[in-house]
Amino acid sequence: MKLKQLLLSLLFIFTIAISSAHASSGHDAPVIEEGKQEYQSKTLSELASSFWATTGINAILDTDDGEMTSEPAGPSAERPMTWFESSLGRIIMIIIVFILFYLAIAKNFEPLLLIPIAFGGLLANIPLAHMGGEHGMLGVIYNMGIANEFFPLLIFMGVGAMTDFGPLLANPKTAILGGAAQFGIFGSLIGAVAIGFDLQDASAISIIGGADGPTSIFIANRLAPDMLGAIAVAAYSYMALVPVIQPPIMRALTTKEERRIKMGVLRKVNKLEKLVFPIVILMLSMLILPESTPLIGAFAFGNFAKESGVVDRLSDTMQNSLINIVTIFLGLGVGSKLAADKFLVVETMGIMIIGLLAFSAGTAVGVLMARLMNKFSDKDNQINPLIGAAGVSAVPMSARVVSKVGSEERPGNVLLMHAMGPNVAGVIGSAVAAGVLLSIFK
Amino acid sequence: MEEVNLVAESFKFMFLGMGVVFIFLLVLIEVMKLQAKIITKYFPDEEPVTPVTKSSKDEEQKRVAAIIGAVSEFRKNKQNKV
Repeated sequence: MKLKQLLLSLLFIFTIAISSAHASSGHDAPVIEEGKQEYQSKTLSELASSFWATTGINAILDTDDGEMTSEPAGPSAERPMTWFESSLGRIIMIIIVFILFYLAIAKNFEPLLLIPIAFGGLLANIPLAHMGGEHGMLGVIYNMGIANEFFPLLIFMGVGAMTDFGPLLANPKTAILGGAAQFGIFGSLIGAVAIGFDLQDASAISIIGGADGPTSIFIANRLAPDMLGAIAVAAYSYMALVPVIQPPIMRALTTKEERRIKMGVLRKVNKLEKLVFPIVILMLSMLILPESTPLIGAFAFGNFAKESGVVDRLSDTMQNSLINIVTIFLGLGVGSKLAADKFLVVETMGIMIIGLLAFSAGTAVGVLMARLMNKFSDKDNQINPLIGAAGVSAVPMSARVVSKVGSEERPGNVLLMHAMGPNVAGVIGSAVAAGVLLSIFK
Repeated sequence: MEEVNLVAESFKFMFLGMGVVFIFLLVLIEVMKLQAKIITKYFPDEEPVTPVTKSSKDEEQKRVAAIIGAVSEFRKNKQNKV
């Protein structure tokens, strides 16, 4: 009796297994079936070799395995990898990732961003796992907030909540310096076109000169999504290199006398002025350049929440927890573009060079503009040309660099607050410049 | 031919871009000045209540006592050293 039941149930299971094997003919099932069917006949060596085929070592060594690239946009955007991308390229990228780790940890270069970006790059270069694909972790993050430009805006909100417009309001004319430094963007645009990029790509690359990570990602995503990874990495690494790149340019373009100039004490800014200011900026951009309002709007909202003084919880969240969470996601998402098939292309070299050019040109023109302004200002309101360098945004890094160079020339000369004016004006300036570029390609 | 066109185009971008950025910031500067004028004239911040008016005679005396104490202590130390 019991034997008969057992036999019957075995038969039952068998029929189900067979019928399901015949019935299913989709993409997802066969992997399991093959394992089940071939299990009977597999020898140990066959087992070992089929396992070997799924290892990363094999994926790297065997360049003809027809592995596809991982695309967050889904299978339609995928293409087979070249031998270089699936083998040597990965190794090179992993070495680059380790260099980024080194820069972030040992040299303290923007570790908050370089660590997530580099780790994302490491994950994206793992063979066969397809983490950058539509259903992979990095791909999901990418689709969640980078492909639709959401994360950069959240970051901008947090930056707004952290920004104090006091120094700018106290000395409005320093806003000009924030504008002059945007020459870095448009000057390098010409350079990028001259070395063969088309206009859209060139615009996306040159925005690195705005020295503003979120803005760069925002624009790159609109105008040249293929180059997003390289542009973001270039933007953040040059921002990290501000203390290295800027001082020589600042010294070369100013005289010792000028660097020693002391600036007067800033007036105390009325609370109401600070409260009204984000609204004023938003109204202006609404009238002149609605294309820039996503960026400026998020920025103004964060700043307004901070200055209103009644929603400390919200502004606190924006400038701490929210921006931290988004930074993790943004970094990993951008890191997914460090996959060998996307990063190791000829354009990356051009992006790195143009980015550096953009950054240096912005600094130089900012300093020269400050020099010019100093020539025309009276004795009581002298302007130390060094603060022009803070016109590239890179808040607050470049303002700190200005202050450091200034106090080296004359100990006790604190330029930090004076440099913050052009610095925050630079953020607005680069957002406006971004809006102009977007409006051109609308 | 096309190359030349592109570069010329990018120069136009530069003029437009820098022009808009400067116009935006110049307008912003004027608005900031105007706003500072209006607000400081019609809505000045209330002066924070200065602590001097608060300090009563007692506190004043305590402060003087503390200063005297500190000075005498300092002198004593000095004498000891010499």
